[in-house]
Amino acid sequence: MFDKFRQIQSRLEGAPHLLRLGRLFSETVLVVVDGDEFYLSFEKGRLLSVVNGPSRKTPWCFALRTDAEALEEFWKARPEPGFHDIFGLVKIGRGRIDGDILTLVKNLRFFKEVMALPRTAEEAVA
Amino acid sequence: MSIEPITGRYMTVEVAGTPHRIYFEEAGQGRPVLCLHTAGADTRQWRHLMNDAEITASNRLIAFDMPWHGKSLPPEGFETEEYLLTTEAYIETVLAVIDGLGLERPVLAGCSMGGRIALQLAALHADRFSGFIAIEASDFQPAWYDIDWFHRPDAHGGEMGAALVSANISPYAPQAERWNTLWMFMQSGPGVFRGDLSFYTRDESLIPRLGQIDTSRAPVHIIVGAYDLTCTPEDAERTASAIPGATLAVMDELGHFPMSEHPEGFRPFFIEALGRMPSASAVAA
Repeated sequence: MFDKFRQIQSRLEGAPHLLRLGRLFSETVLVVVDGDEFYLSFEKGRLLSVVNGPSRKTPWCFALRTDAEALEEFWKARPEPGFHDIFGLVKIGRGRIDGDILTLVKNLRFFKEVMALPRTAEEAVA
Repeated sequence: MSIEPITGRYMTVEVAGTPHRIYFEEAGQGRPVLCLHTAGADTRQWRHLMNDAEITASNRLIAFDMPWHGKSLPPEGFETEEYLLTTEAYIETVLAVIDGLGLERPVLAGCSMGGRIALQLAALHADRFSGFIAIEASDFQPAWYDIDWFHRPDAHGGEMGAALVSANISPYAPQAERWNTLWMFMQSGPGVFRGDLSFYTRDESLIPRLGQIDTSRAPVHIIVGAYDLTCTPEDAERTASAIPGATLAVMDELGHFPMSEHPEGFRPFFIEALGRMPSASAVAA
């Protein structure tokens, strides 16, 4: 899973439109996968660091909690219904979002597209 | 260069005693089919079907922008008004457009909140229509989000709304149409999506009316996409089962905006739905 977040980090560097969309986003996001914590620290749209938890000292803005199987389906080019969106994961009971939801919603397009970066262009069938 | 067959004009009708300047488009000839857009969007959602020569050869497709949407203006004095759509105002608007255009028992095709009001009209004013195609339509769902997110002074409601509703678009949708669909939400006027969602997520009045819909007078066909998180296939199935004689089609590869997000995928389902509606000659008889 750590490799996936590293992949997001490198692909984000190659996505100028996302860096532009996220230019006001400087927050730490907690992603919990099967109980394992990952702290994604963004600075002006760049993903500066991904740090493994657990940590009681790292403040975070909002959190997405899900499981590896759900993320694997989410990262397919054409996920099954419900797995195609982070809010879909919540709706089908495979994810939970908490913390400062308003900050997430204000940056929703940016964060959703960042999380979907492992969907490769080759896989993304038109 | 190409010029599309769709033509657009304006009409002024009274709703709740107030004049409203409404933009409408049409294409085709024959049986009138009045098309209603979703919340937070406008008539452009229907453009693919209105440009479909096979469909418009025998159907006169008409779509209009609800007041506050698209090219229809909000009413005079809107600057101090909180826009909150109601079932009553929505019904009055649809009937005023039908009267204004002189439509004789059109088929009513509505998507999302347009599908919801189509079912309300099936219950309350069935005599004014020949049939109902209710797309992504159901009895009621409460919001799974906070509708106040979409009207704030410190954020762009349109961009937030588009980012949220993208959850309802199928991964099978072509990228260009996915983004054309989202663009309409991005363009939506301040507070308009919120005001539509107020109607869609808070008004439960359709639930007790479903049983009184008489599909022997005017058929009801419900269509739902599997990737619709807002009106799920389960929501549509529950609704169809509460309407005696209603029929249902589930689209495995489509979402909440099928005519807009994936026109080719939706086309056969719409043609099938039109086939279930009475012909123009049957309506005239």
